[in-house]
Amino acid sequence: MSKPSNASSDLELMEHADGETGGQTGDSGVAARIERDSDARAKVAAIQEVGELVRGHLELSADAVHDAKFAAMWRRIDDQLGAPATGLWSRVTGWFDRYRGHVITGAVSAGAVAALALILRPSTPDPGTLGRNGGVIDVRPVALRATPEIDSLDTPGGSSTVINLDDEDGHTTVIWVTPADTVEGI
Amino acid sequence: MRATVAILMIVAVPVLAGTAPQARADVTADCEFLEISAKAGDKPSIDGELAPVEKKLKKPPFSTWNQFKLLSHSHKSLAKKKTEPVSLKVGSATVTLVEIVDKSKVRLTITMDDDKGKQVANNTTTVEGGDYMIYVHQLANNDGHMLSLTCK
Repeated sequence: MSKPSNASSDLELMEHADGETGGQTGDSGVAARIERDSDARAKVAAIQEVGELVRGHLELSADAVHDAKFAAMWRRIDDQLGAPATGLWSRVTGWFDRYRGHVITGAVSAGAVAALALILRPSTPDPGTLGRNGGVIDVRPVALRATPEIDSLDTPGGSSTVINLDDEDGHTTVIWVTPADTVEGI
Repeated sequence: MRATVAILMIVAVPVLAGTAPQARADVTADCEFLEISAKAGDKPSIDGELAPVEKKLKKPPFSTWNQFKLLSHSHKSLAKKKTEPVSLKVGSATVTLVEIVDKSKVRLTITMDDDKGKQVANNTTTVEGGDYMIYVHQLANNDGHMLSLTCK
């Protein structure tokens, strides 16, 4: 018969440790029992310790979601400052920006972003990740590439025609130079 | 022994410390150049080495010609603001990486001279990595001399 009695009193101890018995008449009895019973005191202390651990973990998780928001802020600030955005960090953030539609939303992805932000964000400005043979050009998907811009063109002794061809491989800028003597001959 | 270790430390630390910044300063763009001769003939032919641009050559305006031959193929790692010669079979060319724009584009200045040393083109263009630029010099006999480039 003692078992059910023990189980019952343990439940009361748990409720007491969680502060769920406040104001109830039985609570004074539980408190008195804790006062005189060292075993009951140890149980309450253990329950409170586990409770603290669980609360601490949940608070950390909440902080992680918060960091995801900060990561997004950092990205926006970086973009607005126009700082050299090369390197692993910018590649990761760039990937998120470009493939936003594919990124799973919700707490899980927010947590993942926060983790990446904490792990990958450099403490010093990142001058770039060296690519193949030291190249730093980030080759973007064809659909995202900007049209080439001719800044200056000089074709002494001939005339030039600039053609922009688009295909599945991207843009091709053709600068077609026809010598003046050829033009005259036509 | 301690003195030797100390000397090694004095020598090694600045050397190791200096390695990373130097590597970062030497950032480059990798560019590939194809020099092509173009003709109109009875039998269409395109050199196998021109596979990267083959599809383009079969379309207008290049379809003016139907025989394309690779004259030279070179690869350059361009350092910023350093003019590099591009060795050609016919004439000469230079390329300068002016700057990298928005981390995905290169601003390049290209000069191209004909076989008589006369300048054909002097051009500065901002182009996305992976995109192509093709300079076409139409010759007096209606053949073509072309220089294709792409950077990554």
